[in-house]
Amino acid sequence: MTTLNTESQNPMGERVSAAIRASAVFILLIVMVAGFALAQPAYINVTNLMSILQAVSVVAILGAGVTVTLAVGGFDLSIGAVAASSVMAASYAMIVWGLGVYETVPLVLLFGALVGLVNAFLIVRLRVPDLLATLAMMFLLTGLQLIPTAGRSISAGLILPDGSTAKGAYDPAFLLIGRSSFFGIVPAPVVIMTLVAFILFVLTERTRLGRLLFATGGNELATRLAGASVPRLKTLAYVLSGTLASLGGIIVAARVGRGDVSSGASLLMDSVAAALIGFAVLGLRRPNVFGTIVGAVFVGLLLNGLTMLNAPYYTQDFVKGAVLVGALALTYGLGRSQAR
Amino acid sequence: MPLLRIYGLAHAFGPTKALAGASLEIRSGEIVALMGANGAGKSTLVNVLAGTLAADQGTMTLAGRPYAPCSPAEATDAGVVTVHQSTERVGAPGLSVADALLLHAYADGSAPFFLSRSAVRRRAAEMLQNAGFELPLDRDFADLTAADRQLVAIARALSRRASLLILDEPTASISGRESERLYTILRRLRDEGLAILFISHRIADLNALADRAVVMRGGTVVGEFGRPIDFDRAVETMIGRPLRAARPNARSFHGAPVLEMAGVQLVAGSTPFDLALHAGEVVAVTGVLGAGKSRLLQAIFGTRTPAAGTMRLDGKAYRPTTPATAIEAGIFMAGEDRHRSSLMPSDWPGSTLAPTVSLPHLAKWYPLGFLLGAREKQEAQRAIDTLGIKASGPEAPMTSLSGGNQQKVILGRWNAEPSRVLLLDEPFQGVDVGARHDIITAIRANTKRATLIATSDPEEALEVADRILIIDHHTLTPAPQAERSAEAIEA
Amino acid sequence: MKHLTRTILGGLVAASLMAAPALSAGIDGAPAPFDKGDIDIAVVSFLGGGDWLQAFEAGVKRQADALHVNLTVSQARNDNDTQRSLIEQAINLGVDGIIINNGRPEVLKDVAQKALDAGIKVVAYDVNLDNPQIPQIEQSDKDMARLVLEQAVKDKGDGFVGGAVYVAGFAPLDRRYGVWKDFVAKHNLTEKATWGVVNDTVPASVADQTKAVLTANPDISVIFTPWDEFAKGVKLAIDELGVASKVKIYGVDISTADIQLMNEPDSAWQATAATNAAVVGEVSVRAVSLAIAGQFPGPSVLLQPTLVTRLDLAKGEIKTIEDLQEKFPAFRKSDAATAEWIPSATN
Repeated sequence: MTTLNTESQNPMGERVSAAIRASAVFILLIVMVAGFALAQPAYINVTNLMSILQAVSVVAILGAGVTVTLAVGGFDLSIGAVAASSVMAASYAMIVWGLGVYETVPLVLLFGALVGLVNAFLIVRLRVPDLLATLAMMFLLTGLQLIPTAGRSISAGLILPDGSTAKGAYDPAFLLIGRSSFFGIVPAPVVIMTLVAFILFVLTERTRLGRLLFATGGNELATRLAGASVPRLKTLAYVLSGTLASLGGIIVAARVGRGDVSSGASLLMDSVAAALIGFAVLGLRRPNVFGTIVGAVFVGLLLNGLTMLNAPYYTQDFVKGAVLVGALALTYGLGRSQAR
Repeated sequence: MPLLRIYGLAHAFGPTKALAGASLEIRSGEIVALMGANGAGKSTLVNVLAGTLAADQGTMTLAGRPYAPCSPAEATDAGVVTVHQSTERVGAPGLSVADALLLHAYADGSAPFFLSRSAVRRRAAEMLQNAGFELPLDRDFADLTAADRQLVAIARALSRRASLLILDEPTASISGRESERLYTILRRLRDEGLAILFISHRIADLNALADRAVVMRGGTVVGEFGRPIDFDRAVETMIGRPLRAARPNARSFHGAPVLEMAGVQLVAGSTPFDLALHAGEVVAVTGVLGAGKSRLLQAIFGTRTPAAGTMRLDGKAYRPTTPATAIEAGIFMAGEDRHRSSLMPSDWPGSTLAPTVSLPHLAKWYPLGFLLGAREKQEAQRAIDTLGIKASGPEAPMTSLSGGNQQKVILGRWNAEPSRVLLLDEPFQGVDVGARHDIITAIRANTKRATLIATSDPEEALEVADRILIIDHHTLTPAPQAERSAEAIEA
Repeated sequence: MKHLTRTILGGLVAASLMAAPALSAGIDGAPAPFDKGDIDIAVVSFLGGGDWLQAFEAGVKRQADALHVNLTVSQARNDNDTQRSLIEQAINLGVDGIIINNGRPEVLKDVAQKALDAGIKVVAYDVNLDNPQIPQIEQSDKDMARLVLEQAVKDKGDGFVGGAVYVAGFAPLDRRYGVWKDFVAKHNLTEKATWGVVNDTVPASVADQTKAVLTANPDISVIFTPWDEFAKGVKLAIDELGVASKVKIYGVDISTADIQLMNEPDSAWQATAATNAAVVGEVSVRAVSLAIAGQFPGPSVLLQPTLVTRLDLAKGEIKTIEDLQEKFPAFRKSDAATAEWIPSATN
């Protein structure tokens, strides 16, 4: 009770353990990259590193959305399904409605924002617990995406439920979102991911709004008593998360060029994992956008390396889990021994 | 021979002596009231008796045998049963009253593993018959009033053949009529030979129940009062000085009030009251837990709508709907329990000193939305300097500060921008004497706004306020202290 | 921290041991670069599992071993985006050839082109990448469907009432289903329903659907299943409904598990037509190897199917794919995409 300042009590021990916590993930990252590069030199070349970033871009963008909902003390389980339905929505808009890139992208983003709004309505207004509300939304979307095409995958020449054939096709400009690269090196999704990461980092860590988002998650009552509108902040978080998920879906659609029915479960799991690994980055022990991006890249580097070394896919899931468990044990375990 | 004899009981939390040689006797068939200001040692004494704390020194005997319980279960087995203030935890929503009555029997395995509903009902009915009062056995526990929940706890206590029943502020959160019912039951139990020790500062409780009042201060028993109990003298003993001298520099205020409340009913059916606060004035509202102190502050801050009445701020109608509208109008509030109402958890963004100060003022200080510039650090440093906060600087984590310094930071938060009315709910909780003095000086130094403080400790009220109001059953009433301070002002 | 590091390092070491390239010697008399050896081939499958994939990968491995080729095998687990990433990764790895096993043309066309641009030879099985530089390995879907449906007409006569399990958008399924449509017209059949789903649990999902369909249409006597995972689901449904004597399955594809299902007493699965998945794997490796050696196998490599009926299995006491290969020589080997210098795969 009378501790004035823990830092002054044990400056060395405190600082060392904080430094270890802060840099642990980066040390692991370097060791891992070095290990893979030794085993397989092709791992370290720029094209492969860009491929890795491209492969994680969608997960990182979704993870940033999860991070924002974690910041307000919520959780969005529907992001995977939002991304998956956005792939279908984008395909449907172009192939069935014959829209171009400039109509499709805003439309799909609007769809994501709308889902976020419905999530927020359930959670803020009807006071449905966030896990239940977003889980229900996930099921709803997984089913919803089947309805317009009666369960068919969407590709050029799709036969609609009424027997007619869809006349549209993927807008080549839309495909550029997923398939083009800047200067022939940096894939467009990586650029989008970097932009999203930067904007969300600034938003959450350097703005008034971000402070209030975190304050909501930290102490909702205190935030309300300080005059902030907690319902509005929560709504914003879910709308952001939904919109980011649909952006992720747009990138997937632009890479694969067709719409296949999917629950997006793996996207959800991977982005949640990224956000949780993010807790360990810099030893912050809280959701943070930078950590989430690092977490996503970490998993991407690991999986790419394992694939290159011919590890079968089931070991990959195991390794993913081991990294997550390890990262969390590291942050919280070290944190506790230091707090004592 | 007394049932319970306590001699020289001592217990220290670090350097703080919570109990310093307390001695006390309680006989069977007697109701003893335990009085004392915050930190006088009442709770520590009760905790030692209930087996949740072990005494460092001293002896206790129960019915002639040494008594030193190591756990609440041991205390209960010996016949000492404590009913705590928060009766929500006696049962759980979804349990029927009968189940709640038998909860301890389920837990300690004295109830059979398989129980039919009728068997549960039968056993619960037996318990109530023994206790001598009635409860709706099939009702959901969550639907019970606070008084009925208290009765569930008492019935459970009695079923375990208690010889000493300890009640912590039993009437704090229940209405007058329900209190009467509880008094009748407790008096009957006393007449049947039960010893009862209860903590209360209510005149009504003392008059209706207590055969004797025991006053604690500084960890020891400093006075005993037999019937009829002189309440004012008991309070004087409690705070250790005559009431008359409590606030020699109390000021009086005239002219247009900052905030006027007229015909306000905090809850439907409560007696309407008026209240006027003047600029520079410090008013304390005191009353037992559940009397409506927080509710009054919340009504002014817009988090709870009163059942009736009007409010005017600087002569203009004032009808707050959210904290945001109240803050906009210049009415600030620091809620009860700073950890719950004001602070962020440790390691979370905003858990250091500067963001704690800036949280309500972010929009004003950072109109562009980006947290650029040192505004919040400057304001935090100003709070540190003016309030004498002991901290390593604006970046210090709040958890590294002592309770008193944490409370100073909260005060610094609401001092950082000008306001018309500052509402403080229990601002001295967990605040040491030195810091309390600093906070009181700072509160009284501000002459531009009115300050309304809710506190359950009359001594704190006397120390800080120009004027003291008593709140009971959600209405403000004049009280002995109030009259006295008025006399002091006129003298 | 220490523990985690150890775990990950342990994983790395284990992984690198697994991958320790069998720096293979070359084959005497083979064209460059096979005379020197050290050739890397990546196999990227769209599917994530199943009997067919297992047999396919076994065939791939056998032929690769015979050719002293290093393999990188990966599965996209039915995820379009992952399959693209895996192919990009193979390109980054600098392999000599890539075998694309199944997938969606829209998803893969541009990455396949990227591989070609990087000088990597690509062959595709069961996915039409519409690129003359990419040999298209196909089992003749039309022949397979024709063989079983002819058998169905032989068993049931013209004009029977039937249904088909079908999901649009998979080229082979589209082709096989097209043959069914032709048969419906030519032999005056009644198509009561089509249903189907492709997800992580095809048989279970299809079984649920089939039960509903059969309950609604009790007059269906033949179900055409253009993929054996569909057949498994339909068989499950028929067994659970207890209508094996009424409803018969005419399927395509075969595996040991499929043979066991057909061999069950009173099995509804009457006939199937298939190419050997292991042979498909072998042919794929041979085709890409020919391309690497500069002996382009042509834009299309066709594998001829074999009809297998319940009766054939019972007569030959065939219980596994291995048994089948002994009984049906056509099933064991394919002379597609061969050359003098390519050693035959050894079982």
